Order: sequence, then structure tokens, then C-alpha cells
Amino acid sequence: MNSVAELDAQADVTRTGRIEREIRVEARPETVFAFFTDPEKYVRWKGKLAELDPRPGGIYRVDLDGQHVARGEFVEIVPYRRVVFTWGWEEAGNPVQPGTSTVEIELIPDGDAASVRLVHRGLPEEAVAGHAEGWDIFLPRLMEAAGDRGPGSPD
Amino acid sequence: MNHMHRQALRRGRPNTAADHIEVTRPAISQHLRVLKEAGLVEERRRGTQRLYRAKSESLEELRRFLEDFWDQSLDRLKEAAERDERRSDRSTRTSTEGG
Repeated sequence: MNSVAELDAQADVTRTGRIEREIRVEARPETVFAFFTDPEKYVRWKGKLAELDPRPGGIYRVDLDGQHVARGEFVEIVPYRRVVFTWGWEEAGNPVQPGTSTVEIELIPDGDAASVRLVHRGLPEEAVAGHAEGWDIFLPRLMEAAGDRGPGSPD
Repeated sequence: MNHMHRQALRRGRPNTAADHIEVTRPAISQHLRVLKEAGLVEERRRGTQRLYRAKSESLEELRRFLEDFWDQSLDRLKEAAERDERRSDRSTRTSTEGG
């Protein structure tokens, strides 16, 4: 029987989903930038333990709560302006696996402040194709659920 | 996680499913009809075939989770960066006053 992780690796999912956020921070881009590249500063806003090697191909790994770990690789670093890294959960079977999505951070100077613009792209948006393997595990479960309701008597 | 189980139900055809488990095609079609009525799967027709897929709530849940995740993270980033900025302002002032 396939594991959920294997099924996910086989899954054909469109990855066009994106999340965009922008926040104004009353601090200069230089101050904010360090919070994306310095592990000690990183854990002051996200995670418990961060391993960061801020250069293209360098590791990005953040233990969020002792259980869930976000992992990726830095793709682009422009000091005080831009940080790009790939992102996913290490946890097997999670729909966002390491390397499948990308986070882009842009720091836009605004007087003594900075706008922080975040785009998280490449997120799964829609399951687009059938994989027979998936039915082995999930159809019987759905059939159980269907059996509970009884054919022909939906509420 | 339950929503991931649902997420793993891919679009497929009843006869493909029947090839893999020990039930008849009509039985699977019947169950899929029930699931469709229960709102758990969506049906689409392609020629004479009916295609089924799990509904996209699981992906919406994932999206909501990540939106909250980044909102909370960015709020904390703002707090921490502004604290550092104030601290560096003070130390700049102190060193200017001192020297």
C-alpha cells in the first residue's frame, strides 16, 4: 500500500496559487533585512530554531514549534532589498513539500520606514488529474462514509 | 490529517477505481453518486465519461492556514524590527551625545 507521502509525490496538482501580503514597518530596510538572514533574529519573529545560509543554494530551515519544520533553499539575496527562498514542510505527506513553493520578500524603503512585501507562490491550487493509486486507499474510506449515509438517502 | 486524506482523492474514473479494488463498477458509481449528493466529490462529464474529484475545500483550508501563518509572522516581524530600530536610534543618540 502506498504511503500518503508517495501519493503526494505522484500528485498532479496545479501550483499557481499565491498569497500576497504587505506590511509597513517603522524601521529601515537594513534593520528589517537582518531578520531574514540572521538565525538569532529570525527566531524572534518565527520559529524556535533557524538554520540559515543566506546565499543562492544555501539552506533555509526553520523548526517552527519542535514538530513542524519549514525547509527550502535561498534563491536570491539582494542586501537590504530582496530575499527569495523556496519553502515547504518537511513533514511527509504535506501538500507543500520542500522545493515546491517560493517565498519572495521585498523591502521597499519609505523614509525611515520600510514596506515589507511578501509573495508566497507555487502553492497547490487544484488537483488536476486522477491517479489510480489514490483510489486504493481513499475510495474504500469514502465508501465507508457513503455506507454510513446509505445510498439514496442523502440528507 | 483528515483534510489531506481528502486532498489525496484525485480526479478519476469509476472504472479505473474498479480495476484496483474488489467492487463492481455499478457499486462504485452508486457510491460516487452518494458522495456527490453529500457534496464530497464533484462530477464532470467528458464525452460519455464521468470524471470525479474531491472538492477543493482542503486546498482552501491550506490557503487560509498559510494566510494566517504569514499574517501572524509579519506582525511579529514588525514588532521585533521596530524594537531593534528604536534601540539603534537610542544608541546612535547616546554615542552622538557622548562624543
